[in-house]
Amino acid sequence: MEMTEKIEETARELGARVKPQIEEARRRMSSLNSSATAYIKENPGKCVIGAIAIGYLIGKLAGRRG
Amino acid sequence: METRAENPNGRAPGGDGTKKLGRQMEKVGHTAEHMWDRTRDSFSDISDTLDLKGRVDRHPYGTVAAALGIGYVLGGGLFTPLTSRIVRLGVRIGLRLAVLPLLKQEVAEIMESIGEDDGSGVKGEAAGKGQASKRTRTTGDEP
Repeated sequence: MEMTEKIEETARELGARVKPQIEEARRRMSSLNSSATAYIKENPGKCVIGAIAIGYLIGKLAGRRG
Repeated sequence: METRAENPNGRAPGGDGTKKLGRQMEKVGHTAEHMWDRTRDSFSDISDTLDLKGRVDRHPYGTVAAALGIGYVLGGGLFTPLTSRIVRLGVRIGLRLAVLPLLKQEVAEIMESIGEDDGSGVKGEAAGKGQASKRTRTTGDEP
């Protein structure tokens, strides 16, 4: 019984310690996502041409390897 | 000799040639203008058809991913081992995502049916035992 209580306590402590970090990471990811989306919407041509160029390079590299 | 005096080079008078050249230049200018208009029109048609701005507004990541894919194909990466690996991975993930819920449902149904069978089986067994005991009792009563 004591062992179970100890495990529960440890799990609770661990959760309390990790929860803020997870929340912070989630907030950061969300802000990164919104800023990336805004950048793409502001510069659609640049982003599309850049993506095509990156894809082209990856395709070239893959072709050379294969 | 008279004509030579009028046109020493044997060509048409200078004024007429200039006019002709001017007319031709004008024609070339018109043609160039027409061509530029047509090119601009076709470009605007293409941009209207693609609707890049709207597409990016609606699906920013999807558009970038599509552009990446177009670049990959243009770079000659379509028929490469990397493509086959990516396709295999995609198919595996897709199958897992599609089949897993169905499998879960099936397993849940099977478990339910097993539980029901167990319940009825216990009842049936008890009934059987009861009958058997009755039978033994009746047989025991007999001399």
